[in-house]
Amino acid sequence: MKTYWRSIEELNNPKELRREEVREEAKQKSMLLKGDQELNASSRRDFLKTFGFSIAAASIIASCKRPVDKAIPYLMKPDEVTPGIADYYSTSYFEGNEYGSILVKVRDGRPIKIEGNTISSVSQGGTSARIQASVLNLYDDARYTGPSKKGNKITWEDADKEIKLLLDSMHSNRDKVVLLTSTIISPSTHEAIREFVEKQANTEWIQYDPVSASGLLQANQVSFGAKIIPDYRFEKAKVVVSFGADFLGTWLSTVEYTKSYTAGRQLQDGRKEMLRHYQFESGMSLSGSNADVRFPIKPSEEGAILLALYNAIAKAKGGMVLPGVQSSIDISDLAKDLLENEKQSIVISGSNDVNIQLLVNGINQLLGNYGQTIRLENPLLIKQGIDQDIDRLLSEMKSGKVKALFVWNANPVYDHPKGNKFGAEIRKLGLSVSFSEYPDETTAACQYILPESNYLESWNDFEPKAGIFSLAQPVIAPIFDSRQPQVSLLKWVGKEINYRDYLQNYWKENQFHQQKEISDFKQFWNMKLQGGVFETQLESKLNYSPDGIKQAASRIKSAGSGIEMALYESIAIGNGKYANNPWLQELPDPVAKISWDNFAAVPVAYAEANGLKNEDVIRVNGMELPVFVQPGQAKDTISVALGYGREIAGKVGDHTGKNLYPFVGEEDGNRKYFISAAKVDKVPDKTYNLAISQTHYSMEGRSIVSETTLNEYIKNPVSGNEREVEDLAKAVTLYKEPVYNGHHWGMAIDLNSCTGCGNCAIACQAENNIQVIGKEQVRNRRIMHWLRIDRYYSENPENPKVSFQPVMCQHCGNAPCENVCPVEATPHSEEGLNQIAYNRCVGTKYCMNNCPYRVRRFNWFQYVKNEKFDFASNSDLGRMVLNPDVTVRSRGVVEKCSMCVQRIQEKKQLAKLEGRPIAEGEIKTACAQSCPGNAIVFGDLLNPESRISKLFKDKRNYHLLEELHTLPSVGYLTKVRNTNA
Amino acid sequence: MRNVILPGRYTLLLKLYIARVLVFILLISGIPLMAISSNEDVKAVKENPSHNDLQRGERFFKGLLPKDRTFESCVSCHILSKPDTMNWNPSAMDIALKYVGKDFADFQTAVMQPSGKKIEASHKDFKIEDEDLKKVKMYLDELASTGPPAAGPTINQLANFVLLIVLMILALLDLIFFHKIKYRLITVLILMGSLGFQVKMITEAAIGLGRSKDYAPDQPIKFSHKVHAGDNRIDCKYCHHTAEFSKSAGIPAMELCMNCHALVREGSRSGKFEIAKVLEANETKKPVVWVRVHNLPDYVFFSHAQHVGIAKVDCNKCHGPVKEMDIMRQHSDLSMGWCINCHRETKVNFKDNAYYDSYLKLHDQLKSGKLDTVRAVNIGANDCARCHY
Repeated sequence: MKTYWRSIEELNNPKELRREEVREEAKQKSMLLKGDQELNASSRRDFLKTFGFSIAAASIIASCKRPVDKAIPYLMKPDEVTPGIADYYSTSYFEGNEYGSILVKVRDGRPIKIEGNTISSVSQGGTSARIQASVLNLYDDARYTGPSKKGNKITWEDADKEIKLLLDSMHSNRDKVVLLTSTIISPSTHEAIREFVEKQANTEWIQYDPVSASGLLQANQVSFGAKIIPDYRFEKAKVVVSFGADFLGTWLSTVEYTKSYTAGRQLQDGRKEMLRHYQFESGMSLSGSNADVRFPIKPSEEGAILLALYNAIAKAKGGMVLPGVQSSIDISDLAKDLLENEKQSIVISGSNDVNIQLLVNGINQLLGNYGQTIRLENPLLIKQGIDQDIDRLLSEMKSGKVKALFVWNANPVYDHPKGNKFGAEIRKLGLSVSFSEYPDETTAACQYILPESNYLESWNDFEPKAGIFSLAQPVIAPIFDSRQPQVSLLKWVGKEINYRDYLQNYWKENQFHQQKEISDFKQFWNMKLQGGVFETQLESKLNYSPDGIKQAASRIKSAGSGIEMALYESIAIGNGKYANNPWLQELPDPVAKISWDNFAAVPVAYAEANGLKNEDVIRVNGMELPVFVQPGQAKDTISVALGYGREIAGKVGDHTGKNLYPFVGEEDGNRKYFISAAKVDKVPDKTYNLAISQTHYSMEGRSIVSETTLNEYIKNPVSGNEREVEDLAKAVTLYKEPVYNGHHWGMAIDLNSCTGCGNCAIACQAENNIQVIGKEQVRNRRIMHWLRIDRYYSENPENPKVSFQPVMCQHCGNAPCENVCPVEATPHSEEGLNQIAYNRCVGTKYCMNNCPYRVRRFNWFQYVKNEKFDFASNSDLGRMVLNPDVTVRSRGVVEKCSMCVQRIQEKKQLAKLEGRPIAEGEIKTACAQSCPGNAIVFGDLLNPESRISKLFKDKRNYHLLEELHTLPSVGYLTKVRNTNA
Repeated sequence: MRNVILPGRYTLLLKLYIARVLVFILLISGIPLMAISSNEDVKAVKENPSHNDLQRGERFFKGLLPKDRTFESCVSCHILSKPDTMNWNPSAMDIALKYVGKDFADFQTAVMQPSGKKIEASHKDFKIEDEDLKKVKMYLDELASTGPPAAGPTINQLANFVLLIVLMILALLDLIFFHKIKYRLITVLILMGSLGFQVKMITEAAIGLGRSKDYAPDQPIKFSHKVHAGDNRIDCKYCHHTAEFSKSAGIPAMELCMNCHALVREGSRSGKFEIAKVLEANETKKPVVWVRVHNLPDYVFFSHAQHVGIAKVDCNKCHGPVKEMDIMRQHSDLSMGWCINCHRETKVNFKDNAYYDSYLKLHDQLKSGKLDTVRAVNIGANDCARCHY
């Protein structure tokens, strides 16, 4: 039996950790009761005071009049709005590198939830945690309420007049004007910008990505003659090798990659093959923790290893061997595996070094992957920024060449390595305009702020991959006085048009002619708007040329010495644009399980050698960072997340963590996301509190995850799951088994498909009004997430195997929580749900103590409308995101996963109204709906034909703590690793 | 010695204790009295009329002047207090608020040369000097700014409760100090009886706490369900047209009223005054703010679609004789027990709806005769999570 552990402390001394945990939990509970230890114990007088006060208060309340509620009807009811019924509109999300075709749930005019759009070939019905959380950005208190000039309010007319005047004089003087944006993938916006650039003399448009793919784009320019990112098709691959690219977490089109990666690895319905995943990386990334074979390396070693790999493959294929530096790692097994899977493999690298990317291209070419697993017909367009451009802008601003700057969806003052200089230069400009929706470091330096509408309030179109289009439509009228920047740009060059008309005209002239099926444009437009996507097939004329590969090989440097600090984007916060989103701040990092901070992840051996433990503080090149001992962190490396340490973001994001962007280096004009030879020393006697939740909600060290290897699985499908058989044979119970008449709702979670990305946790939070409680309360083990993703390590702490497991209420048929409730607040339903009636709960927490899965959450405080918890639910605007179909829980009650009973009720009602049985797959819980790995399946266990019934019969299916005979309605499918190379 | 002292001490302590308890009870029972509701804060512009003018205006309004009055007084139709049955005429407050911002000329026209059958008939014999009418307008303007006169306290349960307390105190005093009543049994009976009655009152009040059966608030428009649904036999679902497929039955949009009221501009009893409010709402684009009558707590998710659309429950079953209600009233207490009891009795239309095909076991039981009918409770209608989530 494998041992699993959740932290280094548990591995070293599990018993001591258990003791410590119990002590800690008892302490947290007693703290709330006693408060300050110094206070005298409560006396008889206190009792009488409290007693008297309660009676007086009760009688006052009883004598008060009931509150008078108003009911305000529509003046004219819009046809599509029916009070009490939600509408879904298709639109698209694009931010940073995340693209998603989505459906927005709108209840009585308010967007409240985001779901995946299944007809998109890119996101395929999946979303990411950040896409899920983006609905909260709409209701961010920090948003600008209208245009302003130097901090004073201004009307749009005045702003337009003043800017137009300045632009006209610049036009006649031929002064240089720069439009700085993030990557824009909207074809109609491209057209609008083209019109602006054409009509305004001497204007340059620069696209800028804080975490760029500059190196990859330039390498492909050399290899294919076009700055493209190819279309990776993981589902067609048998072997995937990633060098530092966290393609499941943050690298390029993650939702799409997760969909296709898990499709290539799932073993349902008797499938017996899966792709094998090798990962070379420094820190423990989401992709690395899912890899079958993981090599912890220093970032600077990457080049040499790739060169060795290239040479090994080239040699086997009789090609030319390139001279260069030597690799420290033996890659002969990997080369053999790749050669055995020619045309069925993918090699990728997250590096921003052109030479490394050229070598990767060379390897893929040798393996014949182009045209097979790596396609060039529909290249990915979501990152187009070239690092040299923005650096040139800075120098041109310094030299005084640039006279005016328009910043749109970019924040270089924060996320450029020379941000401070950027800010100083912007302040010197004659005209600086920001279109930002929220205050940020760059808007603070700009004169005019002309806020753009939120993406849920705007018309737009997107082209995430060449030929694959999607539309975005407003799902709510602009809440504030905002305007789409496209409208402003067009207005300033003399074109007055609302953006919907502009977009429609653009599609009429361009997209409409790319299809033959529909001859009427109006019909075409309505159909595409309703579905959200329009996809065409393109042909590629690009051909690989081996130019530059020799030179690239000679430029590969040997690995550096000393400690290297790798910088990465975290899963929740990404590049830091939405640092003010409390849902994302509180989402624990999938691997480290830390929320509300970034931290220095150090290797286990290094921590032991230098006497470091969690929450100590180290100084890296002058910056103090809290330490987290990360199993699997490569030797002589430290990893720290970017995107934290915002200074102007809003009440949640301000000064959360440290800003590491100033440490981003440069090599050959491109950003380099690691620092060589970092100077690290321990800050003595200093600690920093981190919200680490890796050991919270422990299941007392019992066997929870089951896993096996592919070979074992093929030999015996029960392998790894032997306990289940044994436990079922021994099961006895005193209780009567429940009988279900109509439905028995159940859920199956395929651990082989779960990557641990955290999308389900945020989807659940948005659906079920789960409150954010802040860093201190997370530290106090009170995180409210109904669905947590447990992460377990096993084997060698220097390079452990990782298992993820989403755990929510198991809805036991024989539930231990139900029979200990003194007020019957949590009985069992006729449909197999473990219910909870919040208003009946008196908060004894007996159920929490008796739940073996630790899935019940207690409201220790009032988290809504409370100044002390000033996150999303303390303002009227923030509370607009609340789901009206779910009770907002108050202090003193227990809550937990309800299996989205409001969704079950809704669909059941619809079926009854239509007089038909519920269709298979019709009801989806929030977590299952948008899972990018298709890992969660929900359904009716009484229907023998349903997907869930089939999965429950799968040999891999097991239940948590089966030996307790709790009869859970949630099943897990064993994780299978494809390790045997 | 001890035998003598001890009872004395105990008596004293007992007396002190009783005195304390009595003071405490008095204090507590006084608290509800303190919670007096304040009138809605109505602000209006006025030109500081003299006290005399106002008083004269009030007297004219109330019919005390002119002395040789041959016509009905204003107040006899346009009442000052809140009515508990439907009074079709606009109340004094209604008129005051409508004309507070308008010129005297408008007011004069409305009173002396009214248009509309009903008002013409009732104002026919009206004779009043312009000067006096101006004072009436001043009085009404003042009324709009101060709000209607406070209603006197009503005798309710609380008064009975206090009365019983006084009775108990008297009985106790007699029992301990005065001994005026010969047979102690009588005082004890009075004490116990009062206490019992109080316990009954408290229990009933506690059960009713948070429930609002018979709640019938004043609405901004004197809308009568009796006139619409009863006399004119408009179907409930003509206005509440989402009841069959949405959780909410819906309050009709203002434009829906206009379907009829575009033509129907005058009511037989209310005249033009109330219907004018509907027209005004549509003209000014300001919807009417109704007072919600049926208001379930936030943690209850009731669905009209389930009851009206699927179970075909008649509206009257819960809402009572709406066709006879001038003022809309909450007919049922909407308590959980009331829901549950109905679910226990209601038969499910099991055979005609294909949704229920999946309830195989119940169909078998029906066939074998083990079960004669399927009631809502059999398919989980009384599960917590049907309404609470």
